[in-house]
Amino acid sequence: MNHSPATGVPDAPGSRRVRWIALGAIALALVMISGLLIYLSPVLALLEPHDPSLGRVAGAPVATPPPLDSKRRINILLLGSDNDQKFRQDALLSQTMIVVSIEPATHQVTLLSLPRDLWVEIPGHPSAKIDLAYAEGGAALARATVEKAFKIPIHYYAWVGLNGLVRVVDRVGGIDLDVLHPVLDDNYPNDFSDSGYGTERVYLAAGPQHLDGRHALQYVRSRHGDLLSDFGRSVRQQQLLLAIQQRTAGMDLVTALPTFAQDLNGHVKTDLDLVRLTQLALFMRNLHPADVHQAYISPYVRDATSADGQQILMADWTAVHGYLRQLFGGDLLP
Amino acid sequence: MLPVKQLRVTGRLYATKGRALYRFSGTQLTRLRFASRVKDPAVTPSGDRIALAQLQDQSSTIVVSDPNGQNRQTLTPSSAAEGSLWAFAPGFDGAGQRIVYLTDRGKQPSSPQNLRPNDLGLWSYDLASGQSRRLVQPFAYTGGDSDPSYRPGVSDQLVYTTYLYGGAPPEPVARLTWMSLRTGATVYLSPDLGRNFEPALSPDGRYLAFIRAGAGSDDLFVMPLAPTYTREQRPYPSEAAVLIQSGVISQPVWSPDGRSIAFLMLTKGSFDLFILPITMDIAIHGAGVAQAVTHGSFLDADSRLAWSS
Repeated sequence: MNHSPATGVPDAPGSRRVRWIALGAIALALVMISGLLIYLSPVLALLEPHDPSLGRVAGAPVATPPPLDSKRRINILLLGSDNDQKFRQDALLSQTMIVVSIEPATHQVTLLSLPRDLWVEIPGHPSAKIDLAYAEGGAALARATVEKAFKIPIHYYAWVGLNGLVRVVDRVGGIDLDVLHPVLDDNYPNDFSDSGYGTERVYLAAGPQHLDGRHALQYVRSRHGDLLSDFGRSVRQQQLLLAIQQRTAGMDLVTALPTFAQDLNGHVKTDLDLVRLTQLALFMRNLHPADVHQAYISPYVRDATSADGQQILMADWTAVHGYLRQLFGGDLLP
Repeated sequence: MLPVKQLRVTGRLYATKGRALYRFSGTQLTRLRFASRVKDPAVTPSGDRIALAQLQDQSSTIVVSDPNGQNRQTLTPSSAAEGSLWAFAPGFDGAGQRIVYLTDRGKQPSSPQNLRPNDLGLWSYDLASGQSRRLVQPFAYTGGDSDPSYRPGVSDQLVYTTYLYGGAPPEPVARLTWMSLRTGATVYLSPDLGRNFEPALSPDGRYLAFIRAGAGSDDLFVMPLAPTYTREQRPYPSEAAVLIQSGVISQPVWSPDGRSIAFLMLTKGSFDLFILPITMDIAIHGAGVAQAVTHGSFLDADSRLAWSS
């Protein structure tokens, strides 16, 4: 017989039932929360705390992400690095820099490529190529540099390494895209060789085809056989992003997120929080190719040589900012 | 085994999947055994010989054999003084005596410290003499030329795709190119800008099927070709007729009787084999809808199709 611990008086059958129901509900809630945390733990492992003030110089603007229910534009700085063993893992250059600008109100997305050789002021550092910002100060400094040079408020960042890209593409089952030119590179870096300094020969035929992760990486990374060099590579990188978006359009990304995240742990970093990540996954699911616009600043830059002899790109900043005003309207920083 | 719909294929139609060669004939599907991975099959008009690009890890060679893969002969080297070599996209002439193909042979040795172009150029191989010669020097750092084939019925004309850059700022361009082997002269059959590629000549040599890249699609077009080589040919763009629009299509090839075009089309994430019946009255156009030969087959869309009687 059950007794009340305080009084030793037997409980009425009704109150015992209530207590068991309450205990059961709490246990069930705990199991569900634990299950949810276990389920989401791979995703949580990828997410870094959002602190946009990190690495900023005093007085620099801070871009606060719009509220979740807002229809305001969200800008994400997408960074890509060679992160094989020949590089110091804490000082990786950002070979790829693309601003992904999302307009929930109009359901439009703009991809803006920033050339890695562009000569810019890096806050708190001497002027240098823009790809150095990530090496010197991580995502925070890369973000601050982009905001200072381009006046684009960066709300979030996402970084992906070589293996991360390969895994993303393989995880979605490969991508289908139209290879714009035959890709031939006799000196393609074989990052997965023992030394990291090896080279291999690459050939991709032109035309529509299916690419797995390894070949997708070759397509966006090779530049030795392309007359347009980095500009050509920027075009291909945006093409890849579109192909991934189209490939995932029919997928239930929200449910797939934990599996994705488990695969990508260590190869992808972002300060997008879980709720925003889920919100974006839902947004991307309903995006049509015609809603995505590709943008480049190549018409507004010219080849130059820096004082220390580096081959660089110099921007006509008045023209660049004029172009960005066309793209971003009043959403630029003052 | 590839999933196949019960659509009867006249003659023998070749395609690759996962770099293995398959032959569709009637409602039969046969995997042909080759020791290594292959792509870009080509057949003689009579179908008695097949040519392929045989792939190694860092190189490829052109091989010919009988249609079952027996009596194989390697035609091109996998390496030379300039380093490892690629060879792709063989195509027989009407007599089955010569092969046109792509290779980076003749390039200058290259290293990360001393980069040199290694674009693919057009070469021919004479099966009787065993001699190769260069036909076209590609534009440097464009990837080179692609999709070569002899014009049926004549031995001195080629069509292929020239890759280059055009416009301001420069953008990738692919132009259909018609070449006289007699004079070495070339004429472009498509506009200066845009991407038109993968030309496929009808068996009588009168029509050219090709792919035109549009906004988010790769569409199938066909246009007439003048009976004799002329530098005045300006057929584009009004004379080119669209056969299939708003698809992602690649590798068109004509049936031996010229009454159908087979191609690969992206459908639900898979490149599948389709056949479109063609009629030619005043103008050439599709005679009905394209019919699927395979479904969910994931054929290699970067590898040519070949079709013989």
